[in-house]
Amino acid sequence: MTTDLLQAAAASNHWLAIAPELILGCAALVLLVLEMALPREQHGWIPRFAVLAQTVVLAGVLLNFETRWLGETTFGGLLRHSLPGQIGRVFFLLSSLLVSFLASVCLPRTRMPRTEFYHLILVVTAALMLLAQSNSFVMLFVALETVTVGFYILVSYFRDNPLTLEAGLKYLVLGALSSAIMLFGIVLLYGAVGRVTGADGAVHTGFEFGTVATFLQNNPGNFLATAGALLVLSGVAFKIGAFPFQIWIPDVYQGAPTPVTAFLAVASKAAGFAVLLTLVRNVFPPLAGVLVPVLSLLAAATILFGNLAALTQRNTKRLMGLSGVSHAGYLLLGVGASFTVPWAAGAVWFYLFTYLLAAMAVFGVMAYCAGADDTAQDLDAYERLAKDQPLLGAVLAVGVGSLAGIPPLAGFLGKLLIFIAAFEAHLYGLLAVAIIGVVVSIYYYFGWIKTAFFVDWHPPGTTEPPAFSRSAPGWVGAATLVLLTLATVLLGFYQAPLAGWLALK
Amino acid sequence: MIHPTLTAYLVVSALLFGLGFFGVLLRKNTLIIYLCLELMLVASMVALVAFSRFNGTLDGDVFVFFVLTIAAAEVAVGLALIVALFRRRHTVQVEELNFLKH
Repeated sequence: MTTDLLQAAAASNHWLAIAPELILGCAALVLLVLEMALPREQHGWIPRFAVLAQTVVLAGVLLNFETRWLGETTFGGLLRHSLPGQIGRVFFLLSSLLVSFLASVCLPRTRMPRTEFYHLILVVTAALMLLAQSNSFVMLFVALETVTVGFYILVSYFRDNPLTLEAGLKYLVLGALSSAIMLFGIVLLYGAVGRVTGADGAVHTGFEFGTVATFLQNNPGNFLATAGALLVLSGVAFKIGAFPFQIWIPDVYQGAPTPVTAFLAVASKAAGFAVLLTLVRNVFPPLAGVLVPVLSLLAAATILFGNLAALTQRNTKRLMGLSGVSHAGYLLLGVGASFTVPWAAGAVWFYLFTYLLAAMAVFGVMAYCAGADDTAQDLDAYERLAKDQPLLGAVLAVGVGSLAGIPPLAGFLGKLLIFIAAFEAHLYGLLAVAIIGVVVSIYYYFGWIKTAFFVDWHPPGTTEPPAFSRSAPGWVGAATLVLLTLATVLLGFYQAPLAGWLALK
Repeated sequence: MIHPTLTAYLVVSALLFGLGFFGVLLRKNTLIIYLCLELMLVASMVALVAFSRFNGTLDGDVFVFFVLTIAAAEVAVGLALIVALFRRRHTVQVEELNFLKH
């Protein structure tokens, strides 16, 4: 009898369905073995192996994009394979590849070990990919915590720098706090739903997304369940840095190593939105009456706070952090719209892809412009950049322009799609706030471009500004940055393939 | 023999959670803050076991093991970080860890 139960439970374990994640996890272990097995002078192969593994997995996912498990649940309902899940996989693999590139620029400047960094990136990416496909609160929580614990280590990776350690501690305390709040929300949902016997006699609990959705449909206004849903969403709001939960962003972004800042800004934020979209579309639609006003308020406050706080920043990492908060606000606008406009979810993913391209290009330039102290990246360090290194200057201009949403670039299209979705969802007040936010953001983004392109006048007699510790990109770095820039420009003119792929309209 | 009701367990759990939450917000020593964070996880586990028992499903009990494992991983990383920070700065008081302000 026991074996029957085990066999029944294992019947839906299709290991091939999670082959990409398994390969990444195994590659992460192989990295550690390679470090022990290879002689020290051949350790340069370790990052190359990490990049190779990610490229192979990315190619595999792209070639097999419409897998035969699409629309099915596996592993006893823990995972659900869907198109948004596949899009998430591609997104996280792309961002981890670019973070590996940034790491290859930044890590050689320090005495920190390299293998563990790539190991952690691979593990975190595998967890992010599982997170995007989770169909149960158990899977969601475990994957999210794998990501978060990995990020605790990554954020404080340069452990000889006190500022980095301080950032790590802040991320640790606030991250653990948000996880605990989210867990309590999950427990409340589980308790409220109780024991549900399905039509076929199978027992379901409040950990399964489908069961919770049905319960909320049948019991509108259940206090315990509504409280649980709000607690879960506040845990997610921490990850994306929405308004009341954004306090950690500037400090942690400044203290973290530049590749990790990029990973946090792009992949961690996208993970939050992947979870949010799954919850909003599959689990909490019956709570739309409560959630749409809450999300709208959050979005408005996030947009205003992010843009106003970014105005006075001189440190570029803090600037990217706070402007990232405002980007989270625009994305929340899209999520709020997706309750009534189904294609808004595709618009959110489109925005995330344009953000990935532009932000990674900008972080790439930052990696080359950073001096010995990774946490002190002042705007002044970008003086004369366009004159000294025209390539980096051009990449910076396109990347920052796309983040600001200047018309021919991809960032503009991303914002436009979100705003159209918000218009169709009749969120007019919020739309006005978002447009004001975009106008404000142009000020600080163009301040950055101005520093890089126009020489500041120094009164005669003052000493020349100190020499900058910039490094010129090698051919791999230059090719990567040029590719990112070209993609940003091309996507601004011709977006049909990506839009069609994201099932927009 | 007293048989506590579900509400009794939930009240204990909510009290523990509140203690932990306000401890995180109000205490100044990093180690105490860390203890309070663990207290919040424990509060959730109490509620999980109670719900599991009174709903008649085993899933909650199983989830407790996952949460325990995650909490252990978090503690391992967190304590290592606090020790590294103490070696650099010779303090674990929150009000003295404020270099990251502009």
